[in-house]
Order: sequence, then structure tokens, then C-alpha cells
Amino acid sequence: MTAASGRAFDGAAPSRSLSNYGVVGFRVELLRLIVAMAILGLIVAFYLGDTFTLNILATTFLFAGLATAWNIIGGLGGQFSLGHSVFFAIGAYVTAGFYMRLGVSPWFALAPAAVLAAIVSALVSFPVFRLRGPFFAIATMALTEVVLSLALYFESVTGGARGISVPFRRGFANMIFTDRLSYALLMMGFLAITLLVLAYIARSRLGYELRAIRDNDRTAEAAGINVVRTKLIGMAISAALMAIGGGLYMMYVRVADPPTLLSLFDIGVKVALITLIGGIGTIYGPLLGALLVVPLESMLRATLGGVFPGSNLVVLGIILILTALYLRKGIAGAAEGIYTRIRKGRRT
Amino acid sequence: MKLTRRSFGGLAIGTAAATLVNRNAWAADPIKIGAVNPYSGAMAQYGDEVTKCYELAAKVVNEKGGLLGRQVEIVRGSATSPQEAIAAVEQLVGRDKVDMLTGCYVSAISNAASEAALNYGKLFWETNALAISLTDRGLPNFARSGPSSNEFALRSVQAVLELIAPSIKKTAPDITVWIEHEDSSYGTSIKDEQVRLLKEKGVKYSVGSHSAKAIDVTDSILRAKDAKPDVWISTAYVPDTNLLLRAARDQGFKPSAIVLVGVGDTPETLSALGKEYLEGVLLVSYPRPDINPKYGPGASGFLDLYRKSYNRDPIAPQGLTAFVGLKMLFDAINAAKSIEFEAIIAGAKTLDKPVGSYETGYGVKFDKNMQNTRALPVVAQWQGGAVKAVFPPEALSEGVKVVNLPRQS
Amino acid sequence: MTALLNILAIGLLLGGIYALVSLGLNLIFGVIRIVNFAQGEFVMLGMYGALSASLAMGMDPYLSPVVVMPAMFILGCIVYRFILRPLQGEPMMQIFATFGLLMVIENGILGLTGGIGQNVSSFISSVSVRIGPIQIGLPRILVLVLASVATAALWWCLRYTLRGKAIRAVAQDRKAARLMGIDVEQIFMLSFGLGAAFAGLAGCLLAPLYTLSPQIGMNFIMPAFAVVVLGGLGSVPGAFVGGIIVGLTEALSGFYLDPALKHAVLFMVFIIVLVLRPAGLFGVSGAEEVGLREQS
Repeated sequence: MTAASGRAFDGAAPSRSLSNYGVVGFRVELLRLIVAMAILGLIVAFYLGDTFTLNILATTFLFAGLATAWNIIGGLGGQFSLGHSVFFAIGAYVTAGFYMRLGVSPWFALAPAAVLAAIVSALVSFPVFRLRGPFFAIATMALTEVVLSLALYFESVTGGARGISVPFRRGFANMIFTDRLSYALLMMGFLAITLLVLAYIARSRLGYELRAIRDNDRTAEAAGINVVRTKLIGMAISAALMAIGGGLYMMYVRVADPPTLLSLFDIGVKVALITLIGGIGTIYGPLLGALLVVPLESMLRATLGGVFPGSNLVVLGIILILTALYLRKGIAGAAEGIYTRIRKGRRT
Repeated sequence: MKLTRRSFGGLAIGTAAATLVNRNAWAADPIKIGAVNPYSGAMAQYGDEVTKCYELAAKVVNEKGGLLGRQVEIVRGSATSPQEAIAAVEQLVGRDKVDMLTGCYVSAISNAASEAALNYGKLFWETNALAISLTDRGLPNFARSGPSSNEFALRSVQAVLELIAPSIKKTAPDITVWIEHEDSSYGTSIKDEQVRLLKEKGVKYSVGSHSAKAIDVTDSILRAKDAKPDVWISTAYVPDTNLLLRAARDQGFKPSAIVLVGVGDTPETLSALGKEYLEGVLLVSYPRPDINPKYGPGASGFLDLYRKSYNRDPIAPQGLTAFVGLKMLFDAINAAKSIEFEAIIAGAKTLDKPVGSYETGYGVKFDKNMQNTRALPVVAQWQGGAVKAVFPPEALSEGVKVVNLPRQS
Repeated sequence: MTALLNILAIGLLLGGIYALVSLGLNLIFGVIRIVNFAQGEFVMLGMYGALSASLAMGMDPYLSPVVVMPAMFILGCIVYRFILRPLQGEPMMQIFATFGLLMVIENGILGLTGGIGQNVSSFISSVSVRIGPIQIGLPRILVLVLASVATAALWWCLRYTLRGKAIRAVAQDRKAARLMGIDVEQIFMLSFGLGAAFAGLAGCLLAPLYTLSPQIGMNFIMPAFAVVVLGGLGSVPGAFVGGIIVGLTEALSGFYLDPALKHAVLFMVFIIVLVLRPAGLFGVSGAEEVGLREQS
């Protein structure tokens, strides 16, 4: 984003321990990652027989992974994209297309999906990256609208408004399972991969360059960073991961139409929102955000959804506003604040 | 009241006794039916209406002593997207322990929910969703009691050939049709079948599509106006249908006949356009409660029940089809004497009632894909601010005839 | 020829709708630089305001701005004071808060109305006027005329009144404005309130054209952003011209290409203009960054 907003996000984290990736090495991070996954695994194990909760966990992990993917360009790079649903949709369509038309197993179809999304993201981002801040965000929103119209129009590619539905043929090779546990584990795997990529990038030259651009793109350029190239690479990686998520979503829901896949609010805004709630630019922020938002959303829908039309979303909206007001640095930021306070308390 | 040990004991015994009596009265736990529908978002209105009518059907059967000696209870599960549909099924089956599922007013939701239901070996009884692909899947736990998009397309083409063509003194190849549709799943499914049927009959047609989100649809109307069609058929949702009709009125687009498919038959359209403009507009719609009682026996009874329960008139005829759909499900369960999905599907297959057996004028006979072949929408017409069924001829109430065709104005 | 004239007229009238809807957003996005997702919902609230006034007092929708605009102004001030002002300096959190607001308003109205489509009619609702070979509905002409009047009035106020000058000063450079002794906070609240009030006005004037549903606001929000950015942030005449351009683009591509593709064309044009000239057609080059740099 712009210099101002970039400052706004790290300015209030005095110790910068969570956002200062240089302090811990990649090995330590790997250890943390394994611990995080183990905790998630324990949660899954705890709810083994409860398919209702397992399904919520599967969705949670999927969105945690998507938000983590978004965080690469949105958090590290500060490019507030609201158009990531485009890459999500590419992933879904390519995976379904390869599987249904060519009989390629979805496991392998994820690769071309990721590659195509990376290429498309580079092509569309190249001009749009000239824009900053809200202008970039609005342009990516407009992009979603363009792609949605085209997806509805070109029926031969996308199945048009009726969408595509993948026939139910259970089996590991088809990535179609009857139990929710398999999906929860599948999505957890996806989450682990995105976290690994993010953790690695955060420590790489690319990560530092992205952060330099976020904090001040002109200074970064003056320091010899190729700003456009760096942003494009960040975007391509983010888009590729997003597409993999889209492919998994497709095999999980098995029916998708353009308004669902390219939903501005259910995908494009939501991944950004989850990241913001969790803590933008941090490694585990998106996961924390998803752990809060997705189950909350599901529980509200299950308890209030049928009672009074729209009531679940009114409550969710109020919670979002309150979160924005009282958790400005996200959960990660708040946790860090408490941590620092405790440490300071001990010292004095 | 001060709660002493004695009074507490009395209370406890009383409660226990009451529970016992209740147990006896109900004989067993109720049969729980999960109703998957959108209760928020753009489709909430009809989703809620459809489920309200499930609840009425349950009320009716409960007053008659229930089903297989058990009471019927409807449990709601909210879903506005396929992903939420899966979550709703997990909630209904996993948490609320329902015995079977029903729904739904949106095809994409039905698609995802019925597959999720199959995971648990639960029946998914579809009453309202239209997409033909739903029954083409051949899912073993799936049946559709109401019409599909094909029946709606069929009726609209019948309206063109059997109602409109004679009135403007033209025969099949000379009549020209403009097919306008919304770029949604619902709009395109019906459009495809309309195109297929018209082609078969050698009728000349043009197709136009528009987005339901459009701020203005005058361009669509101008294109249609340029084509000078005899008949203008539109398949869209409520707000865009009204917008199209307003643009047609403003632009002086006056085809000999206007046919609205699926919507346009509610007070929402009446108050938007006024009864003068709507006079004679044809509607392919779900059968309404005021249908000829010989064609739809008991429809007025439904209307009374609805008014008594909700203190207003039904907001859309989708509700009656949902009500009838659930009655068919109860018939299937009674035939099966079981609530297992294989048995119910087998029970449903044995049902064989002629057209005109239910409140909507539907009969019941399932084909091999478990699509009810005897559920057909009717063609109705706006007449003096009210909607009257005008086709098939049996559905006509006494004294009703087709008016203002071709349109004069 | 007639067809072209006709579609140009349609585009112009549609442009009037867009210009009207964008007036308020232009103040909010142009001056305070808040990406207000809920702006479409403000328009929707204006529509339901006209409906309530008509139901409760039998008021014609064209008179209802008298009641609706002050109410929306107060709502706007409250929203700004209690939700957006505390989030100053955190533009992303602001986006996020307005998104929460959107959900609350949309679903609140859904809960209240049950989602049933509502219509507001005026005595001129169904009047259609013929000018030469072209036929147009009177309510649409009225929208274009009143959009022009409102634009001119707003432009005049910003140009010649002290408060208006202060708003422009803040839009151009809030730091310098503060140094000049302008109460920037108050100007922000005023701008947001006015932005909401103008959305209310748009809602009242558009109510007779549409069938009201809680989701209708969403249909306006994306084109409105396109209009404001195209015209140039904070430029009142710019937003008007931007509205007309968007309207014409949509109508022409809808008629000559395909109505199903008009959104694709519209937003493609928008992206291209945005990339070539981020300041918009009427904005001062570089203005799109001023005010974003300094959020405190």
C-alpha cells in the first residue's frame, strides 16, 4: 500500500518481534510451523466424530490458506488486492476442466492451474501496479467484475451461469471423499504449504524487497530494487497458491458457478479481511484470523440463520466493526501487545 | 412462589408425569426434516416462503396424527451458496440429527446439499429448484416433486403456439419470438430449452441476455424492439423483470404478446407497473391457490390455512408447490413405511396419481431419474390486477377467459 | 440514425443516474479518501426512506428528500464519528469497517422487510415523453435534470462558501489546511455527512425507477467508484462528466455489442483510463496521492 498505511501497520508494534523475521532463522520457524500444525491436528483429532465441526474446520483451513496466500502480496508487499477471486476461479476452472475433459487427476491438475494463474496475474498486474493504495484496490475490484462478466458470457469455457458440477466419484485419485475428515486434512495440507511458502519468502531477499516496497516504494527504488519486477513475482506466487486453493475448493464443493467463484465479498474481500483481523504481514495472522472468522460465521449461520432473515449477517457485521475498532493491529498485533506489556512488567 | 423441598418434589414429579404423557401422545420422537434454503441474501424472501409452506404441510399432517404414527418437525438450515449448503447439511445431520432433507429454491444449493446428504445416506427431496441437471445426475437419494426448467420452457412455448399464435392469426413458422433471459443459471437453463423447442417447431427467434445487476436495461429493450417480434418472452428475477417492463413501457415497445416466465405474478410487479399496463400479460408460473378447484383440489383450503397461520396472503406461488412437494414426500413415506432413503425412493416410485390430484393440479409419477413427470406449471394471465390461470384449458376457473390478446394499447 | 440518437439519449439519462449516485461518494472518497463500501447501502437507505415517507405520510418521493436528506446527514455524521474517525490512519481497517457496515445495513433492511420487493410510485411514474423520434420516461429526465442542479449547487457551495473552500482545501492538502487553522476533523465529519445526505437524495430520486430490494445498493457501488475515479477525485464537475461517460459507454456497448458484455466493457475502459491517467480525467495530476501520503 502507500507509505502512510505501511507505517501505520508496523508503527505500533514497538518490539517488532512478530514482524521482524530476521531474528529467528528459518529452522526455528519450521519448528514453530510444525508445532502450529500439531495443534491444529489435535483440534481435528478432538472433533473426530463430529462432522459438523470437521466441515467447519475444513473451510477454516482452506480460508486460512487462501488468506496466507493473499498475505504474500497483500501483507508483505502492501498491495491491497481485492481481486484475488480471479485467481481462485482460474484454479477451480482449470482443475475441473482437466479432470472432467481430459481425465487428469485433480492432484496433477493443480499444477497447470497454478501456472496459468501466475501468468494471468503477471499480465493483469503489470499495468495495474502503477496504481497505489485505494486506487489499486478499486482497480482489482473492477477486474473482478470484468472477469465475472466474461465468465458468464463464454459458456464453452466456464459452463456459463449454470456453472460446472463435478460428478461424484469417490476415490483418492479423484480427490473426492465421503468423509469430512479427509477434506479437513487436505485443507490442512494446503494451509501448511502456504505457510511454508510465506515463511520462506518472508526470510528471503524477495520478502525483504517486498517489505521495502510496502514501506516506501520510492526509497526502495532508490535503493536499487526493481519495484515492478518484485511486485510481479510476489503477485505471481500469491496467485499460484490462490489457484491451488481454488482447485481444492472445486473438488470439495464439486459445483461452482461464476457468481460463487468470483464473489467479491465471499472470496476477494474475505481473504483480505481474514488477514487484517488476524494481523496483516505476519506469518500466523491469517491463520488466527480464519480460526476466528470462519467458525464464527458458520456458528452464527447455524444458530441464527433460520430464525430471522439476515440476522446472522447483521451480528457478523457488528462483530466486524467492533473488531476493526478494537483490534486494529489484528489478533497477532494484540497478542504481541500483551506479550510486550508482560515482558516490560517483569523487567521493571 | 417459594421453592421448598416439597414443592420442588411436586414440581419434579409433575414434570416427569407431563413428559410421560407427552411421550405417550407422540408415541415416538418426531420425524425431523431439515429444510435447506437461503434465509439471508438476495433470495431470502422466497427461501423463507418455501420453508414456511413446508411448516404448513407438517402442521397439516401432524393434526391428522402424524406420519407413521410420529409427528413431523421442520428444522431450518440456512445456505446461500454451495459451500454453505454443505455446511447446512452438516449442521442439520450432524448437530440437529434430522432424518431427511428437503429444499430448496436454488439449484446450485440443491446440487451441493443433495450430494452432502448422500454422504450420510439421507434423502434429499427437492420441491422447487429448477435446473434439469439435478435429476440428470441420477443420485440415489434424490427426487424432485416439482417441475424442472424444462417444464417451464415447455409451457412458455405452448403458450406461444397454442394461445398466442391463433389469436394473432399466425402459424408456427411465421410467428417471431424474442427470448430475453437473465444471465443466471435459472435464466439460461430455461432459455436453452426454449431455443430447442422453438427450433424443433421451426419458429424464428432471437435471444437477448442481461445481467440481474444492471442499473439500466433499456438497451436490451431497444434491441428487442428493433427485431419487431410478435412475442416477447422474458425469464428473469423480480427486480429486473420490473425494470424490463418499465423500460418497455417507456420506450413504447409493444409486442403482440408478453410472456413472463417464473416471476412477474406477484404484487411486487403489480405495484410496479399498475394493472392497466399488465392487463393481458401472460405468465408461466407455479399453479396458484385460486386455481380452478377441479384442477387443483383443496387449493383454497391451503389459502385459508396460510392466511390463518401467517396473517397475510402468500407472497409467491412457489410456496404452494413446496407445500404439495412435501405432501408427496409424506405419501412416499407412507407407501414406504420407513424413513430410510432407499425405501422412500422405492415408495415414491410406486406413487401413481393422475394430473389434478394435488392442490397445484399436479399428479405424481416419477421417471427413472426421479423427476415427477406430472408436475407442470400453468400459463396464467394478469386480468384486472389479478392473476388467472388460462392454460391448460382444464385449469381455467369458471367464467375466466383470455383477455387483451393480442395486446391493445 | 434514430437508433443511435435513441441510445445516446438512453446513455445520457443513465449517466444522470450515475452522476447522482456518485455525488456523495465523490465527497467521501475525494475528500476523506475513505473507500466507503457502504455508500451503495446509503443510497438504498435513501430509497427505503422515500418508501417510508410515502407509506407513513403519503409523501411523493420527489418531496421526500426534505426528510430523508437531514436524516441521512445525521446518520453519516454518527457513522463517521463513532466508526471511521477512530480508525483514521488505518485505511485498510476503514475499508473493513465500512464492509461491516454494509452487512449490517443490508441485512437489517432484509430483516425488516422480509426481502419483499417494494415499489414507490409518484404521480409522474408512468409518464413517457416523446422528443422528436425519441421516447423517454419522465422520471429519468427528472433524474438527469436534478443531478445537474445538485451538481451545480454543490459546485457553487464548494467554490464560494467558506465551509466549501475549507472542504476543498482539506481535499487538496490536509496538512496545509490544518496549518491554516481549518478544523480538519469537523470538515471530515461534514463531508461524510454531506456524502451520506447526497446518497439519500439519490435514493429518493431513484426510488420511483426501481423495485426496491435490500441488495440494490450493491448494484450501484462499483459503477459509482468508476465514475468518481474517472472524473477525478474531489472534482464535482468531473464526477458529473464521469457519470455521463460511464452511462454512454454502458448504453452504447449494451446496444451495439451485447447487454451481457456491457459490464465487462465498462470496467475494462475504467481500468484502462485509471492506468493511463490515475488522477482521472478532471483531477490534477498527482492529486490522487495527496492526502494518502498523510493520514494523520
